[in-house]
Amino acid sequence: MSTSPSFFTQFIIEQKKQRHKSHFIFVLFFIGVQFLWAFYAQRPTDYNDLTQGYLSCFHFFPVINTILYPVFIAVMASRLCDMEVKGDTLKLLYTLQKKSSFYDCKYLSSLLPIFFTILTEAFLIVLTGQYYHFKDTLSTAMLFELILSTLLVSCALLSIQQVLSLLSQNQILPLLVGLLGSFLGLFSLFFPTDFARLVLFGYFCAFFKLENDWDEKTRIITYYYRGFDWKLLLVFLLFTIALYFFCRWLTLKKEV
Amino acid sequence: MKYIITTKALTKKYNDKTVVDRLDLKIPEGSIYGFLGPNGAGKSTTMKMLLGLVKPSFGYMSIFEKEVTEKNRLAILKDTGSLIESPAYYSHLSGKENLQIICKLKNVPERDINRVLSLVRMENQQNKKVGQYSLGMKQRLALAAALLGSPKLLFLDEPTNGLDPAGILEMRELIRSLPNHGITVFVSSHLLSEIDQMATDVGIIDNGKLIFQDSLLELHEQSGTKILLKTQNDQVAWKLLSSHHLPIRQEENKIYLDSFKEEEIIRAVKLCVEADIGILRIEEEQRSLEDIFLNLTGKQVSL
Repeated sequence: MSTSPSFFTQFIIEQKKQRHKSHFIFVLFFIGVQFLWAFYAQRPTDYNDLTQGYLSCFHFFPVINTILYPVFIAVMASRLCDMEVKGDTLKLLYTLQKKSSFYDCKYLSSLLPIFFTILTEAFLIVLTGQYYHFKDTLSTAMLFELILSTLLVSCALLSIQQVLSLLSQNQILPLLVGLLGSFLGLFSLFFPTDFARLVLFGYFCAFFKLENDWDEKTRIITYYYRGFDWKLLLVFLLFTIALYFFCRWLTLKKEV
Repeated sequence: MKYIITTKALTKKYNDKTVVDRLDLKIPEGSIYGFLGPNGAGKSTTMKMLLGLVKPSFGYMSIFEKEVTEKNRLAILKDTGSLIESPAYYSHLSGKENLQIICKLKNVPERDINRVLSLVRMENQQNKKVGQYSLGMKQRLALAAALLGSPKLLFLDEPTNGLDPAGILEMRELIRSLPNHGITVFVSSHLLSEIDQMATDVGIIDNGKLIFQDSLLELHEQSGTKILLKTQNDQVAWKLLSSHHLPIRQEENKIYLDSFKEEEIIRAVKLCVEADIGILRIEEEQRSLEDIFLNLTGKQVSL
């Protein structure tokens, strides 16, 4: 019997709310950092680098994602949720639309630019390889795995950031969590595997079984791809879904 | 009488604290129902329960003679507008852009924006960013948003809060005009004078309990509102009116008519004029909300 507007209409309304916010500048800045990383840090210095250019990308991009995405996701979620908190709009919106639809639309609106940057990253890997003429073959499967794993971890982090941003009067807390998450995720890469699995922010690097061998004499790194941990991804997918519904429940149960 | 809102034993408890206690509201259709009570009495919580923003602990509530449940809440609220506690707005958008968003959510054509903007006299500020509005302008914009789609029922929680005297007057005039557009208004305030100047019906809430509910006229009757009669010769006037069994009383050398009934006031004036006693002034001496609370509950309350 509900006469709430359709989900599509609500999603369009979410986009209208973002007018004059210039989110694209922030997204462009983020893509700029990805671009610099791709073209500067991934530039080959010798023949060996050229023979493993793509593998090197698949090794280092998840690392840079661990540093950048927690902050990026925190800022995106905060920018979209802060307008509701500051304008005290929830008590009006909840009389016009379903609380759950509001939450879902907001989530999707934050996820879209994040997904866009993930696709851009994949495109940048292809572009870098073409530009520097990497000698190894680009594995489309690995590219897909990178997109999928980055998206999935971003979804989990976005759930946390959205609930924090919607429930906090001051956006310092969610931004701080994003910043600390970035550091913690990076440090977790040096933790023993079992311990690192406890750090959600470090999961950007958890699915690729990429090993390297550092030869001290020749100063050459050799990468070995041992596959993608699909089992872990499936477990993480279930965890992400559960986390999404838990965070949504937490937000919706709060009276406004 | 047709009631647009009815609640039965509506209750809200937070842990052991009862914020709203078995409230039986009856809001007549076409009225301006003033919901009066001190801060923290449970006015906002009651409104929020009716709007589905707060879940009642138990009790029944109906709007437009339909029981409000989580399932039909939005369908019922489609014909309502609300302004709860403080205005809701997007400060980075203009007034018009804010209203466009509400139009989309209410599924109301955008041409209605001009109508509501002219009602709240905001036509000239519609393209300015709301972040640059004064509180009064934000309040008026929020009222315009509530009026979009011509709702049949309006919830206004302390709509004059934070407004300057001119803004209060404007808001009051606007609220008073709403029943002419077929809108029933449920308005809360902690100021008796505020409610007194715009409501037709009153509910008084204290500590979550409804301690009075009736017409404003009845409140005046019960609360002991008195009429001061200042005549050329109060002594003679008092004797004359007493002998005609009017509820007249002498207090500190002044004479008061303990009645708010128009026919008794007319009779008193007529008697004085006929007896050639000049009437200098007829003044309504209103009791403060504190006095009314004292009268109704027998206890002092800090407002």
